[in-house]
Amino acid sequence: MGRKKLKGSFDQTVAPLLFLAPNMLIFGLFIIVPAVSGLRIALYEWSILGDKEFVGLANFVELLDDPMFWRTFGNTVRYVLLVVPLLTVSALGMALLASENYPGVAWFRGAYYLPTMLSLIIVGITWRWILGDQLGIINYVLRTIGLSPVKWLTSPFNANVSVVFISVWMFTGFYMVMFIGGLQAIPEDLYSAASIDGASRSQIFWRIKLPLIRPTMLVVLVLGTINAFKAFELIYTLTKGGPGSSTKFLVQNVYQVAFEEDRLGYASAMAVMLMLAIGLLTAVQFRMNREYSNE
Amino acid sequence: MSIRKVMVLSVLVVMITGGLWAAGQAEADDEVTLTVLWFNDGDESDVFMEAIEGYLEANPNVTVDLQLVPFQDYEQRLRLMIAGGTPPDLARVTNNHVAMFVDELLPLNGRVDDLDGVLAGFNDASIAFATGPEGDILALPTEATANGMIVNVDLFENAGIDILELSENWTWDQWHDAMVQVVEANPGLDYALGYDFSPHRWSTLLYEAGGRFLNETETAMNFVTPEAIDALEFFKMLHDEELVPASVWMGSENPQELFQAGLVASHIGGSWVINKYASDITDFEWAAVRMPRRQIRSSVAGGKFIASFEGAENEEAAIDLMLYFSEPEQNAYYCRETFNLSARTDVEIDYPRRTDDFARMAADLAVTPAITAEDWKSPDLNKIYSYIREQIVEGLLGNITMRQVAQNIHDEGNSFFQE
Repeated sequence: MGRKKLKGSFDQTVAPLLFLAPNMLIFGLFIIVPAVSGLRIALYEWSILGDKEFVGLANFVELLDDPMFWRTFGNTVRYVLLVVPLLTVSALGMALLASENYPGVAWFRGAYYLPTMLSLIIVGITWRWILGDQLGIINYVLRTIGLSPVKWLTSPFNANVSVVFISVWMFTGFYMVMFIGGLQAIPEDLYSAASIDGASRSQIFWRIKLPLIRPTMLVVLVLGTINAFKAFELIYTLTKGGPGSSTKFLVQNVYQVAFEEDRLGYASAMAVMLMLAIGLLTAVQFRMNREYSNE
Repeated sequence: MSIRKVMVLSVLVVMITGGLWAAGQAEADDEVTLTVLWFNDGDESDVFMEAIEGYLEANPNVTVDLQLVPFQDYEQRLRLMIAGGTPPDLARVTNNHVAMFVDELLPLNGRVDDLDGVLAGFNDASIAFATGPEGDILALPTEATANGMIVNVDLFENAGIDILELSENWTWDQWHDAMVQVVEANPGLDYALGYDFSPHRWSTLLYEAGGRFLNETETAMNFVTPEAIDALEFFKMLHDEELVPASVWMGSENPQELFQAGLVASHIGGSWVINKYASDITDFEWAAVRMPRRQIRSSVAGGKFIASFEGAENEEAAIDLMLYFSEPEQNAYYCRETFNLSARTDVEIDYPRRTDDFARMAADLAVTPAITAEDWKSPDLNKIYSYIREQIVEGLLGNITMRQVAQNIHDEGNSFFQE
């Protein structure tokens, strides 16, 4: 049987494409073209002010033996594995609280969304002032009440904990809103039916809410993973990747290699590896979700 | 009106319009707008515009489009402007920038009459920074900078130390002892020294210990030396003994803020802080002091320059303005008003305040060996600036020995020299 040729009026065939065209143009110019260019640049040794030299896969081979690349890759993976689950759980928890109807719930939603609206740079600077060893507010209070100050940012372990905490604090509101949307899409009569059948709140959560917001959870996990892999501005402002390189993540390494060491090609190769890592993890998440749906 | 009349009138209108446009264009061609890229440490941009008022009055067709860029974005902005084919006509640059943009800066040789005469009034270190690998002069110096120490005189007095007298001729050991005493004598003072989180400032210890980053011909690293390891280990000792707060090199706290708050008794930074401290510090007496000696006494030379670029739109006017701004009268005005050391040797600047502080930093600069400039003008050394800082911190944390720190920096730097 042959394919049916699309028939229809202008409104049904050409008009939708025209409406999509501006977005596709912007998407193409600012997403596709840079991504393809990045792949191409990764095959060159290139100083931004100098000539390009085609080196094939040499940049990728060099990456395999670059201790700083693997260190920052490891730091990034550790950060993702901590931040994404914490973000998901805290956002879902906040959404469960915020989706109830009680006095002041709108204020609560707004208050918890507020950090998301702040500039990453401002947040980094402010938290650096709060957590500073000598000048920080928290240590000032601790000293005043006779307790020992804490090395929030000068100990590698504490610096990593601080970075994770601040990231979760900042972005929970954003994902909370997504979960609220998912929860509000669940038909109310399901809850009514469950109540009639004698289901407890816990059972309603595990047997009704959680399965039905799985699509939203997948979106949160995927977006959270992508954004966590790309973390840079907040961390750099807060710790500059320190102490040493203990909170230095892959994007900061890419930035330094590209603009301080002036090796755009090698930096692009790192960015390609980052893209592959994100793609792989995202594919795993989709695969797990599909298998869970099929059960 | 007939068609023919309409056509004739239309042609006339087009001709008149075209003629007016051409005339306007011809007038516009005489006008020169100089794009000047600038970053501020304080109020240098305002003082620059005041300093060149005479030039602008004498050249009414010249307009300056001053574009202020924050320092942390400055290098990237310059790179992008140059890569995009639209370099500024002029830019304020540091000695590091001269090293980074050595192939993009406009050489003045062959473009300036009696260039030797122009250069004769500047100090050797500044000229060394401004000279490219082929011997071309790539920029004109404006101000010289020097690394140095600022102390809280009151805190040292509480410890029974006349720090101004002691520092006239002191050693690292005497410096260490004074730091221990000042902390012990001042309840509530936890630390003796805030040290700028900067390899450039750290390198003051390196040169005083008799070391350097590069070999004699500046073609490779030479950092695994007893002198370099001595400087690294002395720096670690200051941290281990908690004479220096960990929160600067390991936590990004600002040592200037710590000093101004009285939380550290001294600060190793640069001559550019004198102006800031003069404005901000009102509750204790402070002073710049001479650096202590290990094998030698040294500062680290640095500087700011004004430069033009290959492919700049208004090369001739840019060079004219550079030369005017660099003349003794304008340079002295600029340095006096911005509280900077002059790069010229033929000007005597009577600063409105803190003259003695500038004099002490200038005295250290006068005995600073030229290798400080030769090292820091290397583009390859500048590429590993962040790496040097990270490795020193790894050593301070105890993750690796200071010998390993030196080896890592040596190897990483050489990977660029070999390219």
